[in-house]
Amino acid sequence: MSAPIVQLSNVTKRIGKRTIIDQLSLDLHAGEVYGFLGPNGSGKTTTIRMMVGLMKLSGGEITIKGNSIQTSYEKAIRQVGAIVENPEMYKYMSGYKNLIHFARMVPGITRQRIDEVVKLVGLQARIHDKVKTYSLGMRQRLGVAQAILHKPSLLILDEPTNGLDPAGIRELRDYLRKLAKDEGITVFVSSHLLSEMELMCDRVAIIQNGKLIDERVISQEGPALDAVSRHRFEVDRPADALALLKQHSGAIVQDGIELDIDRETAAWVNAQLVSAGIKVYGFRVHTKSLEDQFIEVTGGETVG
Amino acid sequence: MGNFIDLLRNENMKIYSRPRTWIMLGIMLVIMLASDIIAVSVGADTKSMWEAFMLQSILGFNAVVIYSVVIAADSVAGEFSAGTIKLLMIRPWSRSKILLSKYIAIIGFALFFFAALFVWNYLLDGIFFGFSSGTVQEMIGEDSTKNIWNYMLSVYGLQLLATTMMTITLSFLLSTVFRSGGLSIGLSLLLMFMSGTLSGVLSMLDKPWVDYFWFMNENLTQYLLPGDYDHTLGFSLGVLAVYYLVFIAVTWTVFNKRDIAS
Repeated sequence: MSAPIVQLSNVTKRIGKRTIIDQLSLDLHAGEVYGFLGPNGSGKTTTIRMMVGLMKLSGGEITIKGNSIQTSYEKAIRQVGAIVENPEMYKYMSGYKNLIHFARMVPGITRQRIDEVVKLVGLQARIHDKVKTYSLGMRQRLGVAQAILHKPSLLILDEPTNGLDPAGIRELRDYLRKLAKDEGITVFVSSHLLSEMELMCDRVAIIQNGKLIDERVISQEGPALDAVSRHRFEVDRPADALALLKQHSGAIVQDGIELDIDRETAAWVNAQLVSAGIKVYGFRVHTKSLEDQFIEVTGGETVG
Repeated sequence: MGNFIDLLRNENMKIYSRPRTWIMLGIMLVIMLASDIIAVSVGADTKSMWEAFMLQSILGFNAVVIYSVVIAADSVAGEFSAGTIKLLMIRPWSRSKILLSKYIAIIGFALFFFAALFVWNYLLDGIFFGFSSGTVQEMIGEDSTKNIWNYMLSVYGLQLLATTMMTITLSFLLSTVFRSGGLSIGLSLLLMFMSGTLSGVLSMLDKPWVDYFWFMNENLTQYLLPGDYDHTLGFSLGVLAVYYLVFIAVTWTVFNKRDIAS
């Protein structure tokens, strides 16, 4: 794998005697969508604030494209576009004036680039209206627009799906994946909406109480056809069914049985059960969702 | 990196695209006009345009200070309360430079209002009482041979330096430290309006350190006319300069050091 674009090494944040973030290390690569999961109050926003220089580190180091956020802030932050918490803009100005405001702060952003970004986020019709007349979804779009104006290498979004309707969430998800894939932008998204992260991210990190407790790759394609996975059969006589299929290791669960088999075998098992006179109400692949895994690793702590 | 002028343009855009700025200007100009109309309609014994000019300027100075304090108080605290500070700070600019652009924009605002006040009063008083070249004697009723333009610009200049700049800077400091616009406006204006009373009370104390209080040195325009004063202009400016530097140092240090966690 290529050298990481963003590196957090042993990042620590202490406020008073409390340790908010404890020795957190992450590597982010070019063109990946990286999910940052954790229960409320686990330190997601604090980590993001340190990544964009709003908060100082108590220990450790954050580098973005090799530039330290602490010692060469201006170079490091040039590579970053972000929305921290809510996309709060100047409400008394139009969306367009807001974009001009942020465009002026980075050299080399032309009017054409602003227009291009406005089109990209689909705000053409309302861009000259005052931001105070915008819905939350439109503010979110404007927030994305200001974050990508200067073509950053790293896009940081804190809870980006907050307040978006299902269509908006889907649109944002597709858009973020497209940015990562086509332009090689690394996208760092925090959320507690687990199902969302599962659809959006290549990898996720799970933090709890400021500590990294798990990091895993999420497969976007789904399991391969010949992969063995857990199948659940809903049948009327689970004990008889299991006895019939004794060559496979299985377990009786509520209203059925579970077997670790591949796709072809599942069809064969179904035929066996039916010909033995056992009623099969249905069968399906039983995958553990990220949510199940999350609850498992965080020990069932409430997740927002 | 980028061009500092662009930061200033941003701050100006934020000040002048709000209706309140133009409402404040409008109110100030209307008050000046109203005072002339009242003076003429009651048949006041106004000897020349310059007498009216001086009175109105003093009235206007207070308005400019109050307005500037409102803008200064909102400058930093407003970004915090609206949450926009987060988007503002994550740009390739140091915190010091962003703060400086805000400070300069506020001073620009005060200068703009001073200029508007000066021009408007000159025109109004000329129209109502007849344009004349005038003398300092006409203006303030005291015997003086000074050139009138020289005197007038000195009054405006010293007013800007002493009361306005000091009050703005204090308000900017409070806005940055407490991140609360209301507190900043309240405290700054309280100090400004209490300064006369406080200096009266303090001067009754016969202690040498009293001379080093801000309030005791705020009335700089008195030095323009010969007289027997406790201090010299240089001494008063020196005392104010020390306060000013402390205000600036505290403001910048606090803004650079603090985590932004609104």
